[in-house]
Amino acid sequence: MTSATPTITRRKVQIKFNFERYAYLFMRMSGLALLILAVGHMMIQHVLNSSGNLTLIFVAEQWNSWGWKAYDIFLLLFAIPHGVNGLRNILEDYIHNPGLMKTINIILAIFVVATVIWAAIGISLFDPEAARQAAQGLPS
Amino acid sequence: MSSLILTIRESVRYRGKSGHYSWIAHRLSGLAILGFLVIHVWDTANAHFYPELYAWSLALFKHPLFAVGEIGVMAAVLYHAFNGIRITILDFKPEWWIHQKRSATIVWVLFAVIFIPIGIFMLVEFTSRCGSLGAACWQFPRLSDFTG
Repeated sequence: MTSATPTITRRKVQIKFNFERYAYLFMRMSGLALLILAVGHMMIQHVLNSSGNLTLIFVAEQWNSWGWKAYDIFLLLFAIPHGVNGLRNILEDYIHNPGLMKTINIILAIFVVATVIWAAIGISLFDPEAARQAAQGLPS
Repeated sequence: MSSLILTIRESVRYRGKSGHYSWIAHRLSGLAILGFLVIHVWDTANAHFYPELYAWSLALFKHPLFAVGEIGVMAAVLYHAFNGIRITILDFKPEWWIHQKRSATIVWVLFAVIFIPIGIFMLVEFTSRCGSLGAACWQFPRLSDFTG
């Protein structure tokens, strides 16, 4: 190794609103949140609990509390945009047609909004009593 | 088609020194998680909208095919999480870029140390459950049994 160390220049400048900059920051910030939420979810639901004994009754018990509902809604809000933005980043590396990429971006944006709204409604309105009723008589 | 093959071949060809394998693993694990996540989210919403359909999918996910997939998702989430921390730290700490190679190795070791015991635990749990079920373990649940 030579003794020369690289020097780092930091600039502080005002820049215009730039979507990609916020998308980039969102990936880091939501990634940090998902480190707790998603890894926690995997440990709680797939190690401490198991999908081997997961039933509608179990879901009804867990979603009886607003704490669990809130946990899952936060997970949803961070994970879906993080994942789809990641897919967008990958596609942009391989698709060089700006018109096509714009169409894909619009489709992905609609998909994110639709998925988050649909699932958030599902979690919020989930009625444990109705689920227990529905589970009656079903094979376990 | 030939450009797709070229893309794949050149993506896998190791160029070294910059955590290239980490980059590939981060992308593939991210895509795998997203593929699972989209199915998982729309499926879980069914717990409210179509509980019978949801109960059927819960039974379906106990099939060995999905049990193995579940272990794969666990691996993908853990690697993506640890490598994500590395990327984020290095993004905000350019003076640490000289540790690129070492940091990539640390992530692989951390992933192995945490994933291997969890993977074995999940595999043992699944095999004991499936073993006690016998041949029934390999049967796909019929949708008609749930929706009536």
